[in-house]
Amino acid sequence: MKRKVVVTGMGAVTPLGENVSETWKALIAGKDAEAPLELFETKGCRCHRAATAALPALPDLRPKELQRLSRASRLAIPAVREALAMARLLDSSGRSLVPILPFSVSTTAGGMGFGEEFLRDILAHKRSRLLGPVARYLSEQQVLDVQIALGFEGPSLIVANACASGANAIGHAAEMVASGMADCVLTGGFEALTELVYVGFDCLQATTTERCRPFDLKRSGLLLGEGAAFFVVETPENAERRGVQPICRLSGYGHRTDFFHLTQPQPQGQVLVDVMREAANSAGVSPGDIGYVNAHGTATPVNDGAEAQSYWTFFESSLDQTRISSTKAAIGHTLGAAGSVEALFALQALITGELPPQLNLQSPIPEVAPVLVAEKEAPRALRHAMSVNLGFGGSNAALIFSRNEN
Amino acid sequence: MKTDLAIIGQGAVTPAGVGLDALLRGSPTETMVPLVSRPDQQWPVFKVNLKDPSLERWQKEPRLRRASPITYFLVEAAEQALAGLDASARAQTGLVVAFSTGCLAYSRRFFESIVTQGQKSASPALFPETVFNSPVSHVAATLRLEGAAYALAGDETAWIAALRTAWLWLEQGRCKQVLVMGAEEFDSASLDAYQNAGWLRNREAADRFIPAEGAAGILVRKAGPEDSTVLSQIADGFIFRSKPQALAAGQRCLSEFDPKTACYLSAQHHWLKDIEQILLRDRQTKESAIYLGEASTASAAWNTLRACSLLDSENAPILFPVWGSTHQIGALALERTGWSSN
Repeated sequence: MKRKVVVTGMGAVTPLGENVSETWKALIAGKDAEAPLELFETKGCRCHRAATAALPALPDLRPKELQRLSRASRLAIPAVREALAMARLLDSSGRSLVPILPFSVSTTAGGMGFGEEFLRDILAHKRSRLLGPVARYLSEQQVLDVQIALGFEGPSLIVANACASGANAIGHAAEMVASGMADCVLTGGFEALTELVYVGFDCLQATTTERCRPFDLKRSGLLLGEGAAFFVVETPENAERRGVQPICRLSGYGHRTDFFHLTQPQPQGQVLVDVMREAANSAGVSPGDIGYVNAHGTATPVNDGAEAQSYWTFFESSLDQTRISSTKAAIGHTLGAAGSVEALFALQALITGELPPQLNLQSPIPEVAPVLVAEKEAPRALRHAMSVNLGFGGSNAALIFSRNEN
Repeated sequence: MKTDLAIIGQGAVTPAGVGLDALLRGSPTETMVPLVSRPDQQWPVFKVNLKDPSLERWQKEPRLRRASPITYFLVEAAEQALAGLDASARAQTGLVVAFSTGCLAYSRRFFESIVTQGQKSASPALFPETVFNSPVSHVAATLRLEGAAYALAGDETAWIAALRTAWLWLEQGRCKQVLVMGAEEFDSASLDAYQNAGWLRNREAADRFIPAEGAAGILVRKAGPEDSTVLSQIADGFIFRSKPQALAAGQRCLSEFDPKTACYLSAQHHWLKDIEQILLRDRQTKESAIYLGEASTASAAWNTLRACSLLDSENAPILFPVWGSTHQIGALALERTGWSSN
């Protein structure tokens, strides 16, 4: 049995804003959050810039508890709260109305900042007060922080499929609902900038010392970012019981592993083509129906060429009917949160008709040049929008959101 | 949740040796390892022998040459569990692996080089291997498992999340069978973490906590009439942050299962030992004679296989409560089909 899956709530904290509306307004206005990175020292790195999020206040938490939260939890909790509030799943005191809420979530580094603190201390032979950071660094601790802060429990799943994790977590949640395993699932992802990860991408020379230029022939690397985005997905009947109007349908999901290389996609992007086809088949749509794609578009030389090729292959003659942009030039690559934050942008495009522009373009890759979203482009009515992500290890995933009437 | 998952393949890599026989009957040898923060203090650890020929063969694979030890544990256990499955069946096989700390050894090495030698010294060869799903990708690529593939993170109960995922994929028709695995590798940084948590006390005690490493996996499909070993029920998501909360979580979890089912003990050396004793004091219990140490998700997988092995001798279902170290409590029920009711 395959049941319909609808989205009834969404929330976000990104480098462009502390919630969905602030983020979207800035994104559509063509703003970007690139700035000097001040969270940790980058003296020995090639790059020194990133897209950092401002941490929203959490006034209901006691200072002691706030102090114990990792940066990742500080990003995740407000985003979850916004999503649950929109889905009318919070009581007047900001606690979950449902005691059991399945949770499908993604991250790549969890509370790694605490892990780094611990490692630094033991390497310095420091002998006391080490438990605090190490006890809160593993990713299940951020999940537990969210569960305790919002007052629910239930089966949880933490997908760690690198940069496709967010799309996997959301797709998995949709499959839980579609299969009847759950009626309502909280899903999304979070990621906080940490030194280990920043230096990792820097030493791979995957980050850029220039502007981040997705799908540009002169692209030279990615901009790292951080953030969180969450959704409530459920059956339409479950939403109706609470009198909640669905925002849209989550209609398609595809995922597969590319065996080509640990950090590089197959040059023709064939696995991504297969993944998009799987998502389109499960949504019951053809490529020409998909009016907007939020692309992975890291702006690395290897990724964007293969990805552009895969759009050329997937859309075939209907490529000119879609619009494509990578929002990583605006908010950076948020890694384990990327699939969620970018799914949110695809969803927002679907329901508002506004399209996030492709920033920093000078010489677009010819395969996709005509379909990259221009700045201040006129809104258009969309019926379906897709979000696409690729990750280390060859994880590829695609999600399709559809308007309710479809 | 009723699951009806048939277990059709098993594989294990343990500190007691490679393979199911070592898992069930082997005896691990202690290695003394110093704390990073106090090199004068050493603690016993159960480590996997990477020079075992079964593991060494994978280290020669071109794709796996730079891989972290956890990859070798995983690929060997996977190959055992997949024995007899031809290439076309493997192409329809999904892979879901539960990790707690994942590629810890390389992560620590990578960060240590940043701290001690500066950011400029960071190794581009090491960094990609620190990512959770790199070992999953290596296993899928090496053994040509073309179905869905997830790396999951969490405490011991991530093993149950992995089983739940396998069930979902089979329900959705994503794969014909799913290889469900748990794996951990040891690094001395984790010894410092355990020591700070107070888990390494009682160095000489019989119930002392010994960190370990390894992997195990089960190949599952939807149970049919020809299948005999079935994972019939799972429950998880009972969260805690303190011991009293763990007790309440364990009570809620166990209430999901038949109270007459015998329980497999696994927390005899764990910080939740008291909770296990309280919650299971009125139940029939079973345990394994040999302690393999604590390797989080790998331990959950090992104990599932050990509980499976008891089905033959007990001729009755077994409940394995999974005591998550840091997040939640879950449990799974195993049974043989075709038992006579008398």
